[in-house]
Amino acid sequence: MNKREKLDTFFTYVFLILIAFIFFFPCLWLILASFSKSGSIYSFKGFFPKSYSLQTFAKLFTDTRMYNYPRWFFNTLFIATGSCIIGTFLTIMTAYTMSRFEFKGRKTIMKSTMVLGMFPSFMGMIAVYLLMTQFGLINHLWGLILIYAAGAPMGYLTQKGFFDTIPKAIDEAAKIDGATNFQIFTKINLPLAKPMIVYTALTSFTWPWSDFILPKLLLKEKNLYTVAVGLMSLDETQFARFAAGSVFIALPIVVLYFCLVKNMVNGISEGAIKG
Amino acid sequence: MKRKLVAMLLLSSMLLTTVGCAKKGESVNADKGKGAAVFDGKIEKNVTIHVLENDTAIEKGYFKELIEAFNEKYKSKGIKAVDANMDQHSDLAKDGPYGYGPDVIYQANDVIMKYAKGKHILPLPVEQFDCYKQVPKVAWKAYETKVDGKTYTCGVPVNVQAPMLYYRKDLLPADWKEKWDENKDNIPDMVQSWKKMYQFSVERHKEDSTKYGYMKSINDMYFTSGFLFSYGGYIFGKNNTDTSDVGLSAKNSAKGARVVNQLASVMNEDCIDDTITTNAYSKLGDGSYFSTISTPDVYSTFVEELEKNYTGMSKSEAEKKAKENLVMTTLPTLPASGDLTDNSTKEIACKSMGGVNAYAISSYTKAPNASLLFVKFATEYKMIQKRAEMLGIAPARKDVAEKVGGVSKQIYKNLDNNDIVLMPSISAVSQIWTPGQTFFTDIAKDAYRKDSEKKYKEIGDYQKGLKEMCKQIEDAITTLK
Amino acid sequence: MDNIVRNKNKFFKNNVTKKKKNKETKTKKITEFWKKSSNPVKASLVLMGIGHLKYKCFYKAIIYFMVEALMITYMISRGIDDVIGFFTLGVVKADAWARIEGDDSIIMLLMGIFSFIVITLFVVIYIQCIKDAYRLQLDYENGKKCKTFKKFIADFFDTKFHVTALSLPVIGVCIFNVLPIVFMILIAFTNYGGTIVPPELIDWVGVKNFQKLLVLSKFGPTFAKILKWNLLWAVLSTTLNYFAGLGLALLLNKKCVKGKAFWRAFPVLAYAIPGFITLLAFKFLFSYGGPINQIIVAQGGKAIGFLDLDAKISSRIIGLFVNCWISVPSIMLLATGHLSNMDKTLFEAAKIDGAGRFARFWKLTMPFMLFSTMPVLLGQFIGNFNNFGIFYFLRGGLYNKGYFLASDTDLLINWLYNLSIDNNYYCIGAAISLVIFIITSAISLFIYVKSPSYREEDTFQ
Repeated sequence: MNKREKLDTFFTYVFLILIAFIFFFPCLWLILASFSKSGSIYSFKGFFPKSYSLQTFAKLFTDTRMYNYPRWFFNTLFIATGSCIIGTFLTIMTAYTMSRFEFKGRKTIMKSTMVLGMFPSFMGMIAVYLLMTQFGLINHLWGLILIYAAGAPMGYLTQKGFFDTIPKAIDEAAKIDGATNFQIFTKINLPLAKPMIVYTALTSFTWPWSDFILPKLLLKEKNLYTVAVGLMSLDETQFARFAAGSVFIALPIVVLYFCLVKNMVNGISEGAIKG
Repeated sequence: MKRKLVAMLLLSSMLLTTVGCAKKGESVNADKGKGAAVFDGKIEKNVTIHVLENDTAIEKGYFKELIEAFNEKYKSKGIKAVDANMDQHSDLAKDGPYGYGPDVIYQANDVIMKYAKGKHILPLPVEQFDCYKQVPKVAWKAYETKVDGKTYTCGVPVNVQAPMLYYRKDLLPADWKEKWDENKDNIPDMVQSWKKMYQFSVERHKEDSTKYGYMKSINDMYFTSGFLFSYGGYIFGKNNTDTSDVGLSAKNSAKGARVVNQLASVMNEDCIDDTITTNAYSKLGDGSYFSTISTPDVYSTFVEELEKNYTGMSKSEAEKKAKENLVMTTLPTLPASGDLTDNSTKEIACKSMGGVNAYAISSYTKAPNASLLFVKFATEYKMIQKRAEMLGIAPARKDVAEKVGGVSKQIYKNLDNNDIVLMPSISAVSQIWTPGQTFFTDIAKDAYRKDSEKKYKEIGDYQKGLKEMCKQIEDAITTLK
Repeated sequence: MDNIVRNKNKFFKNNVTKKKKNKETKTKKITEFWKKSSNPVKASLVLMGIGHLKYKCFYKAIIYFMVEALMITYMISRGIDDVIGFFTLGVVKADAWARIEGDDSIIMLLMGIFSFIVITLFVVIYIQCIKDAYRLQLDYENGKKCKTFKKFIADFFDTKFHVTALSLPVIGVCIFNVLPIVFMILIAFTNYGGTIVPPELIDWVGVKNFQKLLVLSKFGPTFAKILKWNLLWAVLSTTLNYFAGLGLALLLNKKCVKGKAFWRAFPVLAYAIPGFITLLAFKFLFSYGGPINQIIVAQGGKAIGFLDLDAKISSRIIGLFVNCWISVPSIMLLATGHLSNMDKTLFEAAKIDGAGRFARFWKLTMPFMLFSTMPVLLGQFIGNFNNFGIFYFLRGGLYNKGYFLASDTDLLINWLYNLSIDNNYYCIGAAISLVIFIITSAISLFIYVKSPSYREEDTFQ
């Protein structure tokens, strides 16, 4: 290692620490605030609470008379998992098809999805709500999964960009060997697209996890609330509960990230096939 | 193919005109029986009534007692009341028509009357109610609506919401009886007059720079607009019905705006945004603030916060002490001159914006008669009294207000005297909040601008600011029409 | 490069000739169809599946017959009413006091659109059925037999794989994305809003709402001001987010960085906290009573109104950075995924050839990233253009001087919200959003169609 490289490494780490700090500090603030003993953000000394306790977390999970956090949590988990699985599946399939198949109307579909994504979405919320009343899907967690999953393929362009960079030569080789298109998709391209699948899964999990407009619209019963809706319904004096709830809401996504992280980087270039 | 489609469309449009005519004919006939005909006295059997109460009533356990008492009484008839288990702010107009709304709702008059417009709530036979004579006319009036020349009443008033002054008795200076009780009525002067409150705030802050006297976020239109009303301002003309006349700048209301600015100057920058609204509970508790304004229903939250600061004693002792030291009272008087710093002595009453909360019955209920039964039960003397005791609210019933006494009685009196200006029951009221909030933010901010940058120097500047705000509200209402 | 030019030429040639040919062949085909098709095929025009029955393709006959039966039941049970309702938007006013159910105009409009989608779908299947029956007849006459059911199904996993793969997403998107958008566009041509909300009946008013927009002087200046800021915001924040995210991914991708998963976890942590919570937290951090001001005051300074009434510049800058904080992690994750897909051999070769770090970045990494993330970049642009949350949470509840029902940080979408949802003027809101929509979609469609990731999809093959 020469001197220049050493210097380079040094600055890289300085940058990394700086960036880690920028991202971590507000999170840290929120985490520590949730352990605040007094329960009010205004009794802090500067950025951080004066004294800490586990009380708010205990309260969050035990005092469920008005605000049933555990219940909200499982509702959200159900919705997010459901829409993550179905949504990822649909998105990847759409992206792959759009990238690999030539058929009539392909470019039209590409252009129109591009344009459709631009419409201010909350204007359509009224329509979604009314539609769901007609289908009788108000107050059903399944109704939300349906909407999230159905909306997920709209963002397929990102994934399509990825498939576009996987060499088609691989497909053609497999085709000569007699593989059907379905087999080429499942056996060859899916394993290669792992980083993309992870990304898609992560985003389609996070979206329902943190969205509060749709569940607010479609779930009327307090028992069916998701965490985001529940937290927004908290009284303004319940700050510590809010902070504790917000910290805990981030946990599953962090866990999911650590479960999936090893799949994020072994893409094609490090994989078995080289072009 | 295209031609075919056009033909089909034409055909269908022709079809629909004939169908349309037929349907129109029907509707004329069906329109005859109207009014609250559904209240035929035939009580529905084996029904469940979904009641949407406010969060405080649920949290403090009052609501549970109410439905338990009701269910006990009507068990034999098979009527059961349950918690609707919905957000207290959910929109009946949106949920009701599709069958997702509650049967009975409890809300403030502006909300309920918004529903009345689209007939989402039923007109009630209010004369039948046992509270009819006990509730003041103004409160009933807030729930009246005119349809085809007839007047209907759509809600049964339960309590009155109005801003109250909260202060800590134990933070008064030790010698207050000598120095701060000029009229010797054994009530501190600063909670009787804004002028004295102003002086006290200056003094308290001077002694210790971390301590303040009166603190409140100025940008809160609901609490701050009262200062405009006190000097002749109003929201809409003709008893809050004429939206073409926005009167927040009427008469001497600029004086009120100046009072607001003067009060802001004895606080700190926190009054510019909503910091104080959220931190008042803990700051009053730890003694940083001496007093603030809020509605009566948060009394218990203040008490809880105060309790936390009384360490070194048992919980019940701390609670007792907190209740003793935390005083809730009606608003102090204002100087007629509109200047908190001069020597004039003439005082006028401080008006405030307020609301009347009431029960109403959804038009989409399957059991209107049973719901009516519930509303009757919930507004009886016994239940209202319990409500007042458990929640510390000010009842709209005269007999209960007399019985409970104290603040409730005062609020009732203020309502009767028109010192509480009820929120308009028309939808245009939603246009006043943001312009109002912006104006008051500007006034509060002005107290902290450098002298050279100050926008509001003379009374005329306030007048101009108010006029602009009114113009903004008018524009918002008329342009979008 | 050669490749690109060649493709381009091919593309143009194809396009021109195709169009000409199409028209001629279409009319020719139809006349041919009438002459040659057998009676059972013609009977399929009335009852789908007869043709297939005749040529012994039983499973298809059953499927087509079922489709028609389903369609007829739908049309009778509600389809016809829905289509009519779409044009009338209701004739009987509901009166809940008199217990008259009445018509709900808005539902009628919605279900009308829904019925059109169903009808379109049916027409597509219908044409498919006739074509298929005709083809079957020709095959039959040539002595070919209908495919077996097994082969039919198997085809959906091979040659017709795209149909299988796309049918579900397309249906989903049509119902939950296209339908609401069409609905909102149509709302712009009604008088829905203000006092005219159900139970009042809503009517079609043509282009009245757009005329109103043109005539009212209130809208013009505010619209211009907000649009200017909105465009600036979208460009700035997109550039900032994109390069920050890409830079972060590259930084983490460096060979010398040990424990990549660990370092990457910090942005992920930020990503894991829902956006609205982050925004509320930042609003508090910058508020008068927030920790930053507390420290300033404790140091003897004067509290600063970062986000208050006069703070146009500082709120805009804070908005930019907070948005960056929220969006960078997801861009970083995405870029990491893409980077791992980049052909490293090329990179190594360039290194051996003596290309410097920046040369490698600009000549190799950037084109590759731009190519594969062009849609993301556009998505980011649109997302930022329509970023509702950021200023709603950070600086809501203010109207500034010189703006009509908006503040000087509000984006068009916030203004739209103030107008339509806050004030219930749905039709005006829909009209404005349609105008915005046309502007933004024209811009981004232009960029997208010009972009290499649309035109030369196989550049990086």
